[in-house]
Amino acid sequence: MIEAQSLTKRYGAKTAVDSIDFTVRPGRVTGFLGPNGAGKSTTMRMIVGLDRPSGGVVRVNGKAYVRHHAPLRQVGALLDAKAVHPGRSARHHLLAVAATHRIGAKRVDEVIGLTGLEPVAGRRVGGFSLGMGQRLGLAVALLGDPATLILDEPVNGLDPDGVVWLRGLVRRLAVEGRTVFLSSHLMSEMAQTADHVIILGRGRVVADAPMSEIVAGAEGDSVQVRSPQAEHLTPLLEAEGATVSRAEADLISVTGLAAARIAEVAAGARVVVHELTPLTRSLEDAYMALTRDEVEYRTMQTSPEVDR
Amino acid sequence: MSSTTAPSVFVPAEGDLYLGGVIRSEWIKFRSVRSTWWAYAVLLTLTVGIGAQVSSSLSFEGMPDVPTQDAIQDMAVYAVTVTTDFGALIVGALGVVVIAGEYGTGTIRSTITAVPTRLPILFAKALVFAVATFVVSAVAFAVTVPLSVSLLARNDVAVRLDDPQYWLALLGGVGYLVLVGLIAFSVGGLMRTTAGGMSVTFVLLLVAPIATSFLPTGAENVAVLLPSIAGDVLLSYPTEQSWVDLAAPTASSDWITEPWQGGLTLVAWVAVLFTAAAVLLEQRDA
Repeated sequence: MIEAQSLTKRYGAKTAVDSIDFTVRPGRVTGFLGPNGAGKSTTMRMIVGLDRPSGGVVRVNGKAYVRHHAPLRQVGALLDAKAVHPGRSARHHLLAVAATHRIGAKRVDEVIGLTGLEPVAGRRVGGFSLGMGQRLGLAVALLGDPATLILDEPVNGLDPDGVVWLRGLVRRLAVEGRTVFLSSHLMSEMAQTADHVIILGRGRVVADAPMSEIVAGAEGDSVQVRSPQAEHLTPLLEAEGATVSRAEADLISVTGLAAARIAEVAAGARVVVHELTPLTRSLEDAYMALTRDEVEYRTMQTSPEVDR
Repeated sequence: MSSTTAPSVFVPAEGDLYLGGVIRSEWIKFRSVRSTWWAYAVLLTLTVGIGAQVSSSLSFEGMPDVPTQDAIQDMAVYAVTVTTDFGALIVGALGVVVIAGEYGTGTIRSTITAVPTRLPILFAKALVFAVATFVVSAVAFAVTVPLSVSLLARNDVAVRLDDPQYWLALLGGVGYLVLVGLIAFSVGGLMRTTAGGMSVTFVLLLVAPIATSFLPTGAENVAVLLPSIAGDVLLSYPTEQSWVDLAAPTASSDWITEPWQGGLTLVAWVAVLFTAAAVLLEQRDA
């Protein structure tokens, strides 16, 4: 369990984290989303005492992280993969971290096995790929078999196998009653992994709700309809109460009418339909809507032609 | 805490963070990078090699006066510790790397996450580095002594090994290396970059003594407060007749002349810089 109260971090005149309150509960995966610079990493760093809060408190499993007698048993953190001396072997790095908490070589070899590092454990970290570095970071996080896991962008650099593996691992850890708090910029990944979502924008909590609620809160479902007679179909659908917008000459986007009903209307009017695709709301849509005004580094609006 | 009260909440295993573990951790880190072994190998080789070379070429031949035993012992200490000023640079560089390297590579973040109370990290690191440096430099001198004594004997310089002052001076040399190492270590902790830490250390050890020689007379006495000069005092053989110039009186105008005074000066440097490093480690974001 992670509890933040009025947690604040200022760097000079800039407020990176602005008096936020949130609770991350055990037994589920909580996703932490937000645009770059929203304060996600700073928040995570404050949880494990790397950064000192300018105000407010954050507690892990009831206490400030620093006050725990065995911090690594309470929290496993992956904050910065490959934050390891390039000349040291992965196994030595793990042994060094383990030694602080009387964690033996047996557990070290266990997490090496768990994260699939066996073939490279004895090699110097400098030659590791991004994915291997990420696995080492995860191994460090898992070392203390901790009650709470804090993972900052854990899928970064993992190959597709690794992503699937990590998703399973994270789900399993949550089922075991642990607190799992992870950030990611990959919405689709987050949508498949997290049960609960906290969205940060410009240092404030923009949303803190179950995944289903966040997704449901997004703008309505739409159906994509491709038809050579789109022009003819449009008024018929509008008569049924739908909102229709035209994307291409033969492609319209329909909201407010179910796909089945659209098909019936088209059939009734003997309109040929080539494609009928219901588009469900995604976490991405919800996220975009929620953070629209919170993005710090917005890209300039460019025309699609230029964009491609 | 039974599993029936809260089956859904994971209860972590017992096992404490403890100082012995932090020291063990630092020892694992210290020995698992090549820079450590390189630095000590160079220190050992230079001390023994150059010590032997110099010992074979030193003698009182051609000097007008008769050397006292003091002058002989003074020469013998010089022969063994001739590379110590250079050794101080090697140990200093290693001292900086030991701590600043953690910041450069980011390892400090896993270290502080494991030991969030932070100060034990600094103590454990300093302890491991100081003990290792003590052992390596003591071994280096211990290997050099028999070589040096036998080579000097060939040049009719009969060193007396039952002279406690001789061993004390060599111990001073070991102490100088350890203390300079800790000064550099503290500088590395303050600067948090290897390049910055090395620059400051080298300025302190190499440039500052030269710079103070340009100060007006009287004021140049502050030079003895510099680590490298205080270190030379620490490892000097207290003598009435120096081998360098048998005729000249050894009395100097410097106010820090006794080895223990030089030692205290170095300890003061360590105390101030180490405290500063500790305070900043506590306060700064990692």
